[in-house]
Amino acid sequence: MTAIELDSVTKRFEDVTAVDGISLAVEPGEFLVLVGPSGCGKSTTLRMIAGLETVSDGSLEIGGERVNGVEPKDRDVAMVFQNYALFPHMTAERNMTFGADAARDISESELSKRAAEVAEMLGIEDLLDRKPAALSGGERQRVAIGRALVREPSVFLMDEPLSNLDAKLRIQMRTELASLHRRLQTTTVYVTHDQTEAMTLGDRVAVMNDGHAEQVAPPQELYDRPATRFVAEFIGEPAMNVFPVEVHGDSVVHDTGLEVPVSADEMAAQDGIDAADLGVRPEDIGIAPLDDAPAGTCTATAEVTVTEPLGDSLLVHCRLGDETVQVSTTPRATFEPGERVALTVDADRSHLFDRETGEAVYHAPKTAVGSSEDRTQRADAVAPGAGGEEIQ
Amino acid sequence: MVRDIRAFDDSRAAAVFLAPTLAVLVLFLYYPSFETFRLSLYETLLLGQQTTFVGLDNFVTLATSPEYHNSLFVSFAFAAVVVVGSLTIALFVAYQLYRVDKWRSIYLVAAIWPYALPPAVAATVLLFLLHPNLGVITHYIELIPGVEFDWFTNGPLAFGVLAVVAIWKQLGYNIVFLLAALHNVPESLAETSRLDGVGSLTMLREVYVPLISPTLGFLVVMDTIYAFFATFPLVDLMTSGGPNGATNLLIFKLYRDAFEFNSLGLASAESIVLFGIVSILMLAQLKLTGEYAHYGA
Repeated sequence: MTAIELDSVTKRFEDVTAVDGISLAVEPGEFLVLVGPSGCGKSTTLRMIAGLETVSDGSLEIGGERVNGVEPKDRDVAMVFQNYALFPHMTAERNMTFGADAARDISESELSKRAAEVAEMLGIEDLLDRKPAALSGGERQRVAIGRALVREPSVFLMDEPLSNLDAKLRIQMRTELASLHRRLQTTTVYVTHDQTEAMTLGDRVAVMNDGHAEQVAPPQELYDRPATRFVAEFIGEPAMNVFPVEVHGDSVVHDTGLEVPVSADEMAAQDGIDAADLGVRPEDIGIAPLDDAPAGTCTATAEVTVTEPLGDSLLVHCRLGDETVQVSTTPRATFEPGERVALTVDADRSHLFDRETGEAVYHAPKTAVGSSEDRTQRADAVAPGAGGEEIQ
Repeated sequence: MVRDIRAFDDSRAAAVFLAPTLAVLVLFLYYPSFETFRLSLYETLLLGQQTTFVGLDNFVTLATSPEYHNSLFVSFAFAAVVVVGSLTIALFVAYQLYRVDKWRSIYLVAAIWPYALPPAVAATVLLFLLHPNLGVITHYIELIPGVEFDWFTNGPLAFGVLAVVAIWKQLGYNIVFLLAALHNVPESLAETSRLDGVGSLTMLREVYVPLISPTLGFLVVMDTIYAFFATFPLVDLMTSGGPNGATNLLIFKLYRDAFEFNSLGLASAESIVLFGIVSILMLAQLKLTGEYAHYGA
């Protein structure tokens, strides 16, 4: 039995459709992340699961029971809000126990015991007497999570819980959330607009756009085999390069003469396509001075426009015909704006998207998750004498 | 070159700008206050045209007057009933208005319109509606067996009627402020409580009242001032302080002493005592509010 199931769920606010027939199934113990840009309907979907918004159409089930008209308190869910939603006049301990105390038949001693256990788990035992104003952002968020834990719900709902924290604390809390979920194994639905958070936390990630789910898949699959151009561009930092090409049987050709071979067998299934959008991630494009340009296909001449040193890599923006292409290369490479360079596309990591619908029509063979190539590379990396270092 | 530009550097210009405000304050506030204090030390005749210095005799008269003691008691009791009554009812109404989804504006207008009525008009209308012999409302009240609603002769009943009218008149003012304060409480607090299944009265008592306590403190102060000073037209038009002094509030008594009995000196002393009482109450309330009100995270 699935923990949560949404079947063609729609939410309309007068004449605006915020969520447009979304279908999702969350397995027990799963950590599902809803990610997407502002206004894509991810928070509304979460609020419908919580019962804070009514469902306009479709069916919503929690624990196998239809809960469309069921009050939030009867859904056995707990929610962590972006702004923490802590009661400013109550101590951290009272914040954690107030809801459970006011609404449920739990003895005070049992409640105190639970609060103490949760506080220990979250490392906030010493903060229980403080009011929210005397807590830092991270401590407040821990108290808010603690409040949800004290309830012992069957589902956790988290609405951008880390958005108000600074970058360093966000990374720390992200790790803590992942470890907490590993320990508790409570079904969790987590909303964020931050794709890094989505990729690092989710067992599966649902990428939402315009009120519907573009793709629901494990993080690496989203990255390697995006179902749509939207997913391809949304997941990954820097974003995937996408530019128009003509399809010529077993290769695609860009205006500049850049030619990238594709699997003729797979393209044969895409009957009648003569134009598409080619997608290549910045790290799947090689860059070299014109003199060192490798011969053959997949190579084109471009001009460097901007370079951005990122520490662990160098991001080079190039002008390729009318397109701007981002290339990620080794951090200490030296390229100057205005310099003519040769770009080489890794044909084994390329994708094609339908120009009209944006749907993926082709993924190069090596983009398959857990492909034999990937496993071989990982094995090579640890094999003595194979260029990698032996793990002791 | 950077020029040193300071606002209102010219003190003469500042004085000119401030002069109109100062003139109004001096003419209508400070001078009358000073005159009131001066007159409280005199015995007066013919609206103050003949005065005799009597020192603190007027205050001694007040301290030993049973009628004044009654007026003091009535005023404090009246203020307590009006402040507690109007705030409690307004809090309940505002909370319902805050929670209702449909026709909120219509309910809001219905709840606050009494405040928009001039006090004299409100008092006259209610006098007719509640009149012991002619009142429509009285007619229905007296349909209850054994109930006689003759508040023209029954002192405690007159006090009750006047308190109800004063509360009704002040509700709109309180509701507007309380509703604004409730809307300032983050909605996510209500949402998290909905998820927990916290009851609405528990929410009001444990969450909303503490969080809107600064507004409640402000309204206690404003309602106290209202009960002591601004209920004069209601008393004047409905009970004239009667029967038997049951509604003879300090503000009404000092008006009668000044303009019906021509004792301007004694009335001035009453004004000063009233001013002192309300000032002490204000200070106490503000201190309590500062100590216990919650001013946000």
